[in-house]
Amino acid sequence: MKKSKKLLWMLLSALVVLVLAACGGDDDSATDSGTKGDSGGSTDSNAREVIIGGLWDLTGGTSDVGAPFAEGAEAYVGYINSKGIEGLNIKLIGKDYGYVIPEAQKLYQEHRDKAGVQAIIGFGTGDTEALRQQVAADEFPFVSGSLSENLKDTKESPYNFLVAASYSDQGRALLKWIKDNHEGGEPTVALLYNDTAFGRSPVEDMKAYAKEIGVKVVDEQVIDVKATEAQSQLLNMEKKNPDYAIIQQTWAATSTILRDAKTLEIDTQFMGLNWTTGEGLFDNVDAATAEGYMGVLINSMPGDDVPGMAEIEEYVTGKGKKMEDINQKFVQGWVTAKIMVEGIKKAAELYPDGDIKGAQIREGMESLTDLDLGGVAANVSYSADNHAGTKEIRIGVVKDGKWEAITDYISFED
Amino acid sequence: MRNLFVRESGNYKTSYVNDMKLFGTVSQKVKIAVIVGVLLLVPLFTSNYWIGLLTLCAISAIGAIGLNILTGFTGQISIGVGAFLGVGGYTSAIITSTYGLSFWISLPLAGLITAIVGGIFGLPALRLKGLYLAIATLAAQVIILFIISRWTSVTGGTSGMVLSRPSIGSFTFMSNTSYYYLAIVILLLTVLYATNLLRTRVGRAFLAVRDRDIAAQIMGINLFKYKVLAFAVSSFFVGIAGALLAHYTMIVSPELYSTTVSIEYLAMILIGGLGSVFGSIIGAVFITLLPVSLGMAIDMVTVYFPDLYHLLSAFKEFAFGLVIILFLIFEPGGLAHIWLNIKKYFKLWPFSY
Repeated sequence: MKKSKKLLWMLLSALVVLVLAACGGDDDSATDSGTKGDSGGSTDSNAREVIIGGLWDLTGGTSDVGAPFAEGAEAYVGYINSKGIEGLNIKLIGKDYGYVIPEAQKLYQEHRDKAGVQAIIGFGTGDTEALRQQVAADEFPFVSGSLSENLKDTKESPYNFLVAASYSDQGRALLKWIKDNHEGGEPTVALLYNDTAFGRSPVEDMKAYAKEIGVKVVDEQVIDVKATEAQSQLLNMEKKNPDYAIIQQTWAATSTILRDAKTLEIDTQFMGLNWTTGEGLFDNVDAATAEGYMGVLINSMPGDDVPGMAEIEEYVTGKGKKMEDINQKFVQGWVTAKIMVEGIKKAAELYPDGDIKGAQIREGMESLTDLDLGGVAANVSYSADNHAGTKEIRIGVVKDGKWEAITDYISFED
Repeated sequence: MRNLFVRESGNYKTSYVNDMKLFGTVSQKVKIAVIVGVLLLVPLFTSNYWIGLLTLCAISAIGAIGLNILTGFTGQISIGVGAFLGVGGYTSAIITSTYGLSFWISLPLAGLITAIVGGIFGLPALRLKGLYLAIATLAAQVIILFIISRWTSVTGGTSGMVLSRPSIGSFTFMSNTSYYYLAIVILLLTVLYATNLLRTRVGRAFLAVRDRDIAAQIMGINLFKYKVLAFAVSSFFVGIAGALLAHYTMIVSPELYSTTVSIEYLAMILIGGLGSVFGSIIGAVFITLLPVSLGMAIDMVTVYFPDLYHLLSAFKEFAFGLVIILFLIFEPGGLAHIWLNIKKYFKLWPFSY
C-alpha cells in the first residue's frame, strides 16, 4: 500500500511537470512573433526597430472621432515607412478597446508582454489616466488623443505627453475670447459636458478661470456622450439664459445639442472644445442648424493651405483616395503619430548605439523644442518638467457648412 | 493502483463527521494537492502576458464566488456587483493612499466596509423578490456610482485615485508573478470558505431560503437575518476582489465599475453554473478570456481580410450576447453541469446510465 502510494505520487508529479512544460514552453516564441515582421521602408539590416502600440476606439462610445484618429495615426506611420528613416524601422500595432477601460488594460498588457512595444499611442481620457502609473512603471512614453489636464502632472503622469492644448487650456482660451469680445456687461456661460473622465476633465479648471477673469458660469448640464436627445437639459439651461454655452463632447452629442437647440429656438451662442469641431458634425446636422457654431480647432482642416498639409495630400492621393475622404480627426491622428516619431528620431540621435528603449524615447521627446508641424497644428515644445506641448489653439466658426478659423494660434496667456 | 473512476468504492463512512469531511479520502487529498501544485507552478512555465491574464481571471473568480454565494446559494438576484467592486476598490484606495495605511490592513477593511454597504442595500430583500429585487440592487449600482463620482473631496471624482502595489517590508508586488501568487492564495482561501459554507448551519439556511423561503420561514429560519447575511458575506468577497483589482491596475475611477461590469459578473455565474463554486471559477475564466480569444481569432482572420478589422472588432459584443443566450437555451446548468456530465459519462462507461 505505502509503496504504491509513493509510486502514485511520483507518477502524478512527473505528469504534471510534463504537461506544464509542454503548454508553457512558448514564452520566447510569443515575444518573438510580435517583433519580427516586415513594416516596409528601410531594409537596412542595421536598422533599429521601434514598435509603437496603439489603443484605438473603433467601435465604442467615441468611435465617431476615434476611428478617423486611428486611421490618421496609422497613415502617418505608413507614410514615414514608405519614405524610410535612416537607421530606424518603426512599426505601429493598433488594437481596438471599444472605450471600455478594462479592455484597454488587457490590450496594454498584450502590447507590453506579447508585442514588446517601446511606446504607446492611446486615445480615451479614462483609460489614459488609468494606465499612467503602469506606463510610468514600465517606462513607455504615452501620447494620446486625450488632452486631459491631469496628464500634464509630471509627478503622477511622468511618461505622458500632450500633443495639443489641454482641454482646460482650450476652455480657458474660449473664456478669454468671450471676455474680450462680449459686448454689454458681464458675460454668462453655461457648461455642457458628459459624465465621464473626458467630460469632466476641464470643468473645474474652467470654473476657476472664469471666476478669475470675471465671466459668470450660471449653469452646468450633464448630457450623455452618445445622447440622441438633450431637450430637458437644454430647457433647464434656457431658464438661466446664458449668453454662451461651452460644450465638451464628441460629434454625436454636439450635433444632438445643436439640433435640439434649434428646435427649442434657444439663442445662446454655442462653442465647443476640440472634439466637437470638424466635418463629422455635418453628418448629423445640416449646415443651417450648425451655422454660427464656434469651436476650438487644434488642427487644420484637410485641404487647408498650409505647408504641412502637402505630405498628408501626398499620402492620401497616393492611396487612391481624395482629400474629401478624410477629416480633421484624421489630421489630429496624423499629427499625434508624427510627434511621437519625431521623439523617436531624436532618441535615435541621442543614443546612436544599442536598442532604443522607452526611457530613451522619453528623453528624445523632452528634447523637442518648437517642433515645426507646418501649420497643421500649433508647434510643440517639451522639457523634463513640461509635458504640455503647447497652450495654443485656433478658434473657428461654421460658415456655410464649412469651418473657418477666425483667429490664428493664440493661447489664453496672450 | 485503484481504478480512478471508482475511487469512492469501499469507502464506508461510519459517522456524520466522516460523511461531512471535505478531504476524507486519499484520492481527494491527492486531487487537491495536484490542483494547488499546478496553480502554484504555472508562472514558471508561461509568459508574463498569460500570468497577467490568469491574475485577472483569479480576481474575477473571487468576485464571481462572492456573487454566487448570493445568487446561487441564496437565490437573491443582484445587479449591484459592479458598484460593490467599486466600493472595495475605493475603500482600499482611500485607506492606502489618503491615510497611508498598509495594504494588509486595507484589504480586510475593504471587505468589511463593502460587506456593511452590501448588507444595507440588501435590506429591501426582505420584501422584494426576483425582478423587483434586481431593480432595487440596480438602484444600489447607480447610487453608489453617483456618490463616488460626486464626492470629489474623498474619492477624487471622475479623475479617480492612484494606488500603489502592496509590499511586505522591502519586497513590493510589482511583477506580474508576485501579484499572481497573491491572487491565487486569496482565491484558494475563498474557495475553501465557500465550499465549507455549505456544510454549516448558515449555508444550509441559505439553500433553504433559495429553495422555498416560505417553508424555510415556517421551519424557523429568520429570513431577514439570513438574507441580509447573504448580501453581507457576498459583498465581503466582492469587496476583496475589488481591492485586489484596484491594486493590480493601480487606479480606480468610476468608469471601471459600470453596469456593464455587473452584467459581466452575472454572465460569469450563469455560464459557469449557479450554485457551484467550481462553476464560478470556470465562468470567470471563460468570460475574462472571451475577448482575448476573440481578439486572437480576429487577428488571424485579419491577415487574410485586412480591411474587415473594424467590422470584426464589433463582433466581440455580438459574441458575448450570443454566448449567454446559447448557454441559457442549451445548458442552463452552465459549464459546471457540462463538466459533471463528462465525469458521469466516464464513470458509467460503457454503460449509458
